[in-house]
Amino acid sequence: MGEFTVHRVRFFNYVPSGIRCVAYNNQSNRLAVSRTDGTVEIYNLSANYFQEKFFPGHESRATEALCWAKGQRLFSAGLNGEIIEYDLQALNIKYAMDAFGGPIWSMAASPHGSQLLVGCEDGSVKLFQITPDKIQFERNFDRQKSRILSLSWHPSGTHIAAGSIDYISVFDVKSGSAIHKMLVDRQFMGVSKRKCIIWGVAFLSDGTVISVDSAGKVQFWDSATGTLVKNHLIANADVQSIAVSDQEDSFVVGTAEGTVFHFQLVSVTSNSSEKQWVRTKPFQHHTHDVRAVAHSPTALISGGTDTHLVIRPLMEKVEVKNYDAALRKITFPHRRLISCSKKKQLLLFQFAHHLELWRLGSTVATGKNGDTLPLSKDADHLLHLKTKGPENIICSCISPCGSWIAYSTASRFFLYRLNYEHDNISLQRVSKMPAFLRSALQILFSEDSTKLFVASNQGSLHIIRLLEGSFKHLHTFQPQSGTVESMCLLAVSPDGNWLAASGTSAGVHVYNIKHLKLHCTVPAYNFPVTALAIAPNTNNLVIAHSDQQVFEYSIPGKQYTEWSRTIQKQGFHHLWLQRDTPITHISFHPKKPMHILLHDAYMFCIIDKSLPLPNDKTLLYNPLPPTNESDVIRRRTAHAFKISKIYKPLLFMDLLDERTLVAVERPLDDIIAQLPPPIKKKKFGT
Amino acid sequence: MKPASLALHVTLRLRAASGSEVRRSGVAWVMVQLRQRVSRAPASASAMVDEGQPASEEEAEHGLLLGQPSSGAAAEPLEDDEEGDDEFEDDEAPEELTFASARAEAREEERRVRETVRRDKTLLKEKRKRREELFIEQKKRKLLPDAILDKLTTASQTNIKKSPEKLQEVNLQKKNEECEKGSNSKKTKEKVQKVQSVGQNRSYLAVRLKDQDLRDSRQEAAKAFIQNCLYGPGTNRTTVNKFLSLDNKRLPVKKAAAQFLNNAWGTQRKQNAKRFKRRWMIRKMKTSKK
Repeated sequence: MGEFTVHRVRFFNYVPSGIRCVAYNNQSNRLAVSRTDGTVEIYNLSANYFQEKFFPGHESRATEALCWAKGQRLFSAGLNGEIIEYDLQALNIKYAMDAFGGPIWSMAASPHGSQLLVGCEDGSVKLFQITPDKIQFERNFDRQKSRILSLSWHPSGTHIAAGSIDYISVFDVKSGSAIHKMLVDRQFMGVSKRKCIIWGVAFLSDGTVISVDSAGKVQFWDSATGTLVKNHLIANADVQSIAVSDQEDSFVVGTAEGTVFHFQLVSVTSNSSEKQWVRTKPFQHHTHDVRAVAHSPTALISGGTDTHLVIRPLMEKVEVKNYDAALRKITFPHRRLISCSKKKQLLLFQFAHHLELWRLGSTVATGKNGDTLPLSKDADHLLHLKTKGPENIICSCISPCGSWIAYSTASRFFLYRLNYEHDNISLQRVSKMPAFLRSALQILFSEDSTKLFVASNQGSLHIIRLLEGSFKHLHTFQPQSGTVESMCLLAVSPDGNWLAASGTSAGVHVYNIKHLKLHCTVPAYNFPVTALAIAPNTNNLVIAHSDQQVFEYSIPGKQYTEWSRTIQKQGFHHLWLQRDTPITHISFHPKKPMHILLHDAYMFCIIDKSLPLPNDKTLLYNPLPPTNESDVIRRRTAHAFKISKIYKPLLFMDLLDERTLVAVERPLDDIIAQLPPPIKKKKFGT
Repeated sequence: MKPASLALHVTLRLRAASGSEVRRSGVAWVMVQLRQRVSRAPASASAMVDEGQPASEEEAEHGLLLGQPSSGAAAEPLEDDEEGDDEFEDDEAPEELTFASARAEAREEERRVRETVRRDKTLLKEKRKRREELFIEQKKRKLLPDAILDKLTTASQTNIKKSPEKLQEVNLQKKNEECEKGSNSKKTKEKVQKVQSVGQNRSYLAVRLKDQDLRDSRQEAAKAFIQNCLYGPGTNRTTVNKFLSLDNKRLPVKKAAAQFLNNAWGTQRKQNAKRFKRRWMIRKMKTSKK
């Protein structure tokens, strides 16, 4: 493979925002996750839990509720008082309707999906009718005294339960009046000055209302009589979320201590028909508050302030007990947040509201394998660029020569020109960017930094020629056949002739830049693309999918390469296919065309196409063989996949030049150190 | 109202009988008479409490005679009056009037008074109306022209929100526009063009600041509520450092806390020390050179 000096970068202060709401859609097996900064991410649970779509956040949008309605429509409501519908095709917001009730705390879609119920700050519960293109206000229910913090529909759609502060109301949907008002104790067997906040309610079809509140209680109420049936004290802190399965035989609750409890309906004795709710399993996968839980038919999903999304398949519901039934913890982003300028050794870090430009340090020392070399010049923080406005940055890029920076928010596009004199840097904004460039999903500069490629969320690809201090719009590739399909990933060939773009569903399109037309389309694969790159000289397009398959497609030849066919026939090693995190970046060695460098969050790998492929019996993660081993053994264990797990968790890894690599790591402890305070745990002996 | 009018009525008749000169200064005369009679008027009022018709003059007089003894203050006008009376023969007996005519006269008097009251009311109403219109006119002058108001009402229904700084900018722009439009056409062309270009640029959206403030304050209140519930007093929270160090404390070989060093401690002191060291080094260099 060769010897490399590796720049280990740990100054990327990336802290993801906490998860606030989670909504599971059964028909499409998709999960919508909303974070505290307003970002909404869609995960495709059947495509290896890959994040396929996301909507950028907004400072004023403090989302408090998320729900799916009939026909795959996604709605969210927040403290700014607006109900927002998301367009999943065009990846933008369709409209935001003000509910005129103040901040909205909760939202629930009716069981048949045609009505939407919203609980507001002023105590009113508002009913909206979902029309094919919009939602329409229907009526208000009886107004309550305090804010409505949780809502739940009865499966038949006739009653709803609304949890507020210190009481739960049961409404009749037809008349809109409150039938029962159930008062909740402030503390389990006691009195307390702190008000009891009902964080979640669930209405079962037999008329039982399950409520979880801030005193740590799970209570079962009978909605016909309005009385308490059963009381469980499960935590010393708040129980913040509840989700019931579709069959209503199990539900899951999340507490502020990070524990997730699973309750199941089990029969009292082994052959009796009488059933009762029993707390069966506790799971401790979180350190901070679990603010959102969801129950899919086979798994429990939880997310909270510690920013992890944990999907725990239930063993009794999973049919095939293979690696799919293992716990999945999604911590690191599935997109690239870092871009690199190889010539000037600069790294551009993308945060939610600003960009940071760093120059890598340098060293003059040399050493052997495994040595840590002292830095002669420290890494330099060159630029801290804040974005204007309340919107989050969607994507950003720095040109390979280091003199252009471009980034895009949902409404604007920014292009900056950088000038370097000695050690100083000066920034100049290119004004009057055209309006069609905004809301770009991916930005890429060509290798010679003369052209800018922008993939917008409407499905079109724009090519802009960059001149000194200004720009000229060259061409726009429109999406085919009238469908609006957002292009998520771009790759450009080093010689500047070919541009590859992948959408969310169709195959990868390859465009000829010289002639400005579509060259070919790689056949569609049923798993989304996670990384794209075009090799220099050979112009082979390497595509990585979310099920850990890697394809190599020859662009001039318009067909898959020999190597790709061989490995597809043989199949990848089972350990390779069982990796959790998607491959986010692919790069190449300029002098060695047989090498492909790719990485995911926990490993980086150099694939040597000249070496034989491993079959299932060989050791995949073989360490570097010691030099005193005989040649025979080395030849026996050598295979194409050279994997190293030294640097993890990796956010970015790239080849700067022939002898240098840069690895941007983000240790989990550094993320946890910047999270909000957790609940105190008292342990014996401390 | 009625007793006073009746008193009026009575005295008028008395004087009318005596001559035409009364008519000329009838009102003044009446006033004087009223003053005189006022001292006794309360008694007459009480006598005529039950809606009485003035009935016959005799009764009225009788009531008057029954009146309260005049106080000293009232005594003087009495004297004046008597002088006045002396001018016109007071010796004559008051003339007799039929009940019907008296009633008619009384009714007429009432009607007259009612009409004056009505007239007064309508006058007042008109005055008020005029004032209202004046205010509306002034308000209209103060408000923005209709075009911008229309834009505002449609803008408030769209979904894009503006950040506060931009809002202030927009308000400033709106004010500029308003005063330019208010001061009308005599402005130079370039200024008008600037206003127009700002309006058609569509890169901003104007929202009423009053609505925005209300919305923001409610949102802030909601956020404060959540913050108080989850992290406020009474919640059992601890720092992340302590949380992560719990495991370290229970290991067989006890380790230090997860974040043992507090790098933010004494930054000012460290800075001062650094500066002092640099200065000391420079001084040392200078002295060693000497």
